[in-house]
Amino acid sequence: MHKKPLSKQIYDARWCYLFVLPCSILTGMFVIYPIGMSWYFSLLDWSGFTKEAKFIGLQNYYEAVNDEFFWDAFIRSFIFMFGTVPVKIVLGFIIAVFLNNQVLKLAPFFRTVIFMPVVTAIAIIGIVMTFVFSPFNGPANKFLMSTNLTSAPIDFLGNPDTVLPTVMGVYVWKWLGITMMYWLAALQTVPQDVYDAAKIDGAEGYRLWIHIILPIVLPFAIVIILVEAVGALNVFPLIETMTAGGPFFSSEVMEIYIFRTAFVTDSGTMPRLGYACAAGVFWGVAVLFITVLQGLWMRRTRRI
Amino acid sequence: MKKKKELKISRRTVMKGALAAGAMMSAGSIPSKLFAGEFNIPDPLKPLPTTGGNMRWIDSGDMKGVFWKKLFPEYAASRGITIEYDGLPWKEINKIVPIAIRNGTVHDVFQLPIGMDPGVAVSEGWVQPWDDYIENIEEWLGAFPSGVYLPGVNQFNGKTYGTCLTANKRTGTCLLYSEKYMSEAGYDPQAGRMTYSEIRDAAKKITKNGNGQYYGWIIGGNQVNRWEDVVHTFGQVGGAHSGRGGFTNRHINFQNGKFQIASDQYMEAVELLLQLKSDGSAFPGVMSMNAPQARALMPQGAAGMIFQGPWCIGVWGRDAPDWKYGIASEPVPDGKEAQPLYIAEGGSNTFWLSANSTMGPFAGDLIRFMGTEQGQIYWAQTVGAADPAVNPDAVAKAGLTGPSAQALSMFAENILVGPNPIVRNKDVGIVAAKSRVPDPSLALVIQGLYTGQLKGVEAQLKDCNQRYEDALDKAVEEARADGANVTRDDWVFPNWDVYSNYGAEKYQEL
Repeated sequence: MHKKPLSKQIYDARWCYLFVLPCSILTGMFVIYPIGMSWYFSLLDWSGFTKEAKFIGLQNYYEAVNDEFFWDAFIRSFIFMFGTVPVKIVLGFIIAVFLNNQVLKLAPFFRTVIFMPVVTAIAIIGIVMTFVFSPFNGPANKFLMSTNLTSAPIDFLGNPDTVLPTVMGVYVWKWLGITMMYWLAALQTVPQDVYDAAKIDGAEGYRLWIHIILPIVLPFAIVIILVEAVGALNVFPLIETMTAGGPFFSSEVMEIYIFRTAFVTDSGTMPRLGYACAAGVFWGVAVLFITVLQGLWMRRTRRI
Repeated sequence: MKKKKELKISRRTVMKGALAAGAMMSAGSIPSKLFAGEFNIPDPLKPLPTTGGNMRWIDSGDMKGVFWKKLFPEYAASRGITIEYDGLPWKEINKIVPIAIRNGTVHDVFQLPIGMDPGVAVSEGWVQPWDDYIENIEEWLGAFPSGVYLPGVNQFNGKTYGTCLTANKRTGTCLLYSEKYMSEAGYDPQAGRMTYSEIRDAAKKITKNGNGQYYGWIIGGNQVNRWEDVVHTFGQVGGAHSGRGGFTNRHINFQNGKFQIASDQYMEAVELLLQLKSDGSAFPGVMSMNAPQARALMPQGAAGMIFQGPWCIGVWGRDAPDWKYGIASEPVPDGKEAQPLYIAEGGSNTFWLSANSTMGPFAGDLIRFMGTEQGQIYWAQTVGAADPAVNPDAVAKAGLTGPSAQALSMFAENILVGPNPIVRNKDVGIVAAKSRVPDPSLALVIQGLYTGQLKGVEAQLKDCNQRYEDALDKAVEEARADGANVTRDDWVFPNWDVYSNYGAEKYQEL
């Protein structure tokens, strides 16, 4: 068949392009342009707010990959992701299974309760949690001590061994509701007649879930894991409000590292926006790589 | 970011303001005496614009905020304007002001982030001089003690860009203690400066007496600068003579121009902090609280001692007026005599006027008033020793008593003016602009040692010292590459007598 020239194709679809135009302009302004500029800034020795900016090529990247604190933060971000995503996925699924049961009359109430932290401002949660986990009169320690689980208060956010698990726990609690909702949406795509047919065939209990329901919702699982993984790599407000990366970098993830170098530090010297952009670009590429891997995994699973 | 606090003005005040505005339209200026209040605000020296407006002001708060919140409503009403005040911790200023400068929304009057070179602010055009807005500025400047206004510090190109209403003669690491707990432990810090051993013993005894209900010592450990402040000042008291201020002054011994982070005195100070922890005398949870949180726990009876600044006095006086506490000088290492502390010339809390501000006439009028003796007396009466008024006569007339008066007398006794490289060579400012505190900074190193994440005090401080030396060398090198006439010798002051003030005549001798 004779193919129309490109100009003709565009002209024929002009209304489509016209409707896409506003979105393209906004995407260009707020996504493409900042990304492009951050790449450019990453090649500069620039504080970010003086006129003086010197082109230094890839020197910021070289410095970043040779900085042990950069790699510590990099690895810590993935520890955070691997420590929270599986817990959220499994816990969210279990809760969704229970709350998807129509027989449970209080399901809407429990759904609301579990979802409530999701709609609470994250900065507020971060600040409130510093009081909850305070070793002095904090309810968490009061509970532990009143039940004789510990003899002395635990400095959850001040101890390098407990700070990251504590923040991870708060993160899981805060966002568990949204994971549960994803799973509920997935479970509700399973037609009722599948359950009925399974029951007729004698599949009940874990067999029903393992052999019937899970294979149906598996493609959703991959999407949920992808969304959750990317979400767990974007935890700046929670960590900044709870610990600001401390003590002594124990909870410093990549976003905190980038923020610290992009702005004036407590130590009080000029910020390094160019360097922070280099770290940000490096980090962005790493996250993109993971996302692509997951996308490939998803396509492969769909084929299966 | 904290929510902006807009000063609320009552309906009655607004109506008074409207009446005054009407009067001003006919008379050309607002007679401030229309407003009966706590302050006797004089009429402006020349008519102010009649267009009104909103003046935005940001500074590091604390007792300054307490004072401004009393003065601003009265001043605003007397001049027919509104004032929006944000008093925020330095950590927030350090984040907000650079972003606001970047996007052109910085407050009319602001403080520069810690460590930012004022010369950069001027050369980049972020600020404008006060000269056009402070009537008879030469005469006004003449009323300040010498050394407050200096070229390269707050004056550039013959104009005054930064205004200082407060002196920098204070320390932020005084020994503040619960009278009851300290007395039960058998110590009286008023009897003389305590030694490290005595501090340690007192902390142990207080902790023992507390039996889990309270502890010997507390610090806002997640505010990392507190660690550095304590070690720096204690080190100075122990005999590590060095400057104060930003990276290019702090920790440097101006006798040889070298950092002295690895000195015995610094090590002793760090060891004291570690011993307080290993003795079990430290309040559990210091690593998850900042300085204001730690300070707030003192009147609640949580701990017996804290090393903090005189700003606690006003806050405790307001929040816990019945709580009995004392203030004393920093402790001294065993067997040593306390050595002087040093400040650089200049004032503190420098206020800068945004280049974009249209409220210059009002800001200048207010600053001018606050620089007069009456303004300084008002300041001293509210702020006390927290941020001492820069005019010593006004401080004397303010009639301060109690801990405020004691703190001021302590500072007068303990603190001398030391050399300041930027006064000697303004190109040092270019070095300051290029310098970067290396990672991990001294503050973080001490925090890491305290949490146990770093091991070996001596090795860590030596490494840190070398990092600081390298960072300053690099900044000097970069500044020179950009044409600055500066060398590390600019940090060496061979004529510095550590027991006397370093004044203008000393600079001339160099």
